[in-house]
Amino acid sequence: MQPAIFAEGISKSFKTGFFGPRKQVLHNVDLEVSPGAIFGILGPNGAGKTTLISILATLLRPDAGQARVLGLDVVQDAGRLRERVNLAASGAHFLWCLTVEENLRFYGRLYGLGGRALVAKVEELLELFELQPHRRVTFERLSTGLKQRLALAKALINTPELLFLDEPTTGLDPEMSRHLRGEILRLNRDAGLTILLTTHNLREAEMLCGEVAFLKEGRLLARGTMPELQERLGLGDHVSLFFRDGAAAVDYGQLPGVLTYNLQDNRVDLRVDRGEERLAAILEAVSQPPGQVIKVRLQEVDLAEIYHEITH
Amino acid sequence: MRLPTDFYKIWAFAARSALVNRRNVFAVFEMLFWPGVAIFSVGLLTRFLKLDPETVTFILIGAVSMNTIQIAQLDLSYALLYSVWAKSLKHEFMAPIRLTHILIGSGLVGLIRGFLVFVVMGLLSMWLFDMDLGRPGTGGLLIFMAGMFLNAAIIGALVLALVLRFGQRAEVAAWAFSYLMLLLCGLYYPVSVLPPGVRELAQIIPLTYFLEYFRHFYGFPLHSTRPLLYGFSQSVIYLGLCYLLVQYTLRSALQRGTLLRLSE
Repeated sequence: MQPAIFAEGISKSFKTGFFGPRKQVLHNVDLEVSPGAIFGILGPNGAGKTTLISILATLLRPDAGQARVLGLDVVQDAGRLRERVNLAASGAHFLWCLTVEENLRFYGRLYGLGGRALVAKVEELLELFELQPHRRVTFERLSTGLKQRLALAKALINTPELLFLDEPTTGLDPEMSRHLRGEILRLNRDAGLTILLTTHNLREAEMLCGEVAFLKEGRLLARGTMPELQERLGLGDHVSLFFRDGAAAVDYGQLPGVLTYNLQDNRVDLRVDRGEERLAAILEAVSQPPGQVIKVRLQEVDLAEIYHEITH
Repeated sequence: MRLPTDFYKIWAFAARSALVNRRNVFAVFEMLFWPGVAIFSVGLLTRFLKLDPETVTFILIGAVSMNTIQIAQLDLSYALLYSVWAKSLKHEFMAPIRLTHILIGSGLVGLIRGFLVFVVMGLLSMWLFDMDLGRPGTGGLLIFMAGMFLNAAIIGALVLALVLRFGQRAEVAAWAFSYLMLLLCGLYYPVSVLPPGVRELAQIIPLTYFLEYFRHFYGFPLHSTRPLLYGFSQSVIYLGLCYLLVQYTLRSALQRGTLLRLSE
């Protein structure tokens, strides 16, 4: 199957000041995203996330490399591609004196919608994002959360096949962030929308993305699904065993899947690849005689650990 | 062009300009207050100086032209400035639009507003200062208006290019360009009174020829043999060059990241 996004050797630099040197923002970045996926680009501020997403969204031209989105070249076929994709970014900005409805109509027309089709689409989006009560409120009078909802509604005005989300929940309160994440997941699940999102919120990436890529100082350091990255980096899940009368006398290093271990009195902390899968065998090995293990704690490796491992 | 999608894209910019103007109290000032002040002040000055009716008409034509062009070019100049002020430029260019959609859509509202200013100022001139606006006939009036709107389009397109290159800093250019052009084209005086060197500059401004053409109906001599040929051909050439310039600055903005910077 043709990837939804295929980028190869993307590089970009910007001039700093009139006589200043060029600053390399992206170095030879490769990326592949499958259709229907939610793919996250993670990285600290200034990593080049927005630059990369802007190149893929046709808002910026790369210095080198080539990128195809939905099978279309982002430079040569930019016009045709723009009809099939859309973008929502953090800190929604629209014309301050137009109402929610007028802003949606404006963007709808820019995508060639008119007449009943435009009216129907605007109504659908107002309902989807619960914006009907605010339809006649001008953009400048909306709360941050409502502005962001409008941004997401605008991003769906052309029924895109692929959506670019540039830090979509930045600046939102936890409740609104949760609501928006729910919407993103629903759009992906119900409409089969491919989503490429940038974020520095690891929790968000963990909740939303099937696959992630780590960007630092313009370089793509790693990419893959969580288990793939975990395996590649040799990061194990945390398994803690608590014993009644001292730890069982076994060679913990030889237990199935154990990468490292640490013994302290009545407690043993293990690092185990695929902890959930190995747990039964480990428990069987350490439960002689039975009843010695009084508590077990399993903590799967999280994105924060992977992020730390990759970026440091 | 793919109708009706192209029509809707043009309509998007026209409707947006119209809505912004409707909600902006300064738009009323732009269309009624300042043109009214201009006609009163210039007209009363001619009365104080006890000028003959022909000279009064000469000067009033200048005042009417200046305000008409100023207003007509504003909507085109503001087409991207609205987006820059709103920081929404990247969303507009994320959509599958072309420059022609922006130019025609915003230009249409400018044309309507400019026409209204021309009518208001023309009526005030006729009513208060006995100017005979109808003397050139419908044809003469239409040609003069076409000339003014072409000049407004040239200024507007030039400002669009500057906005794409320099962003908000180009705002001042929206006003400065038209004033500079109006200074050189003999708005309140014949170009013959301009100092040598500057006089030649007036010959490369199309409005010079349209003013000359319109004023000849009121007894002022023509300095060029074919004012309309020069006026229209220069306008078309400049408009074409401005279009290419806007296209070039847009391509350059995509390369330099200006669209993103102006949306932050």
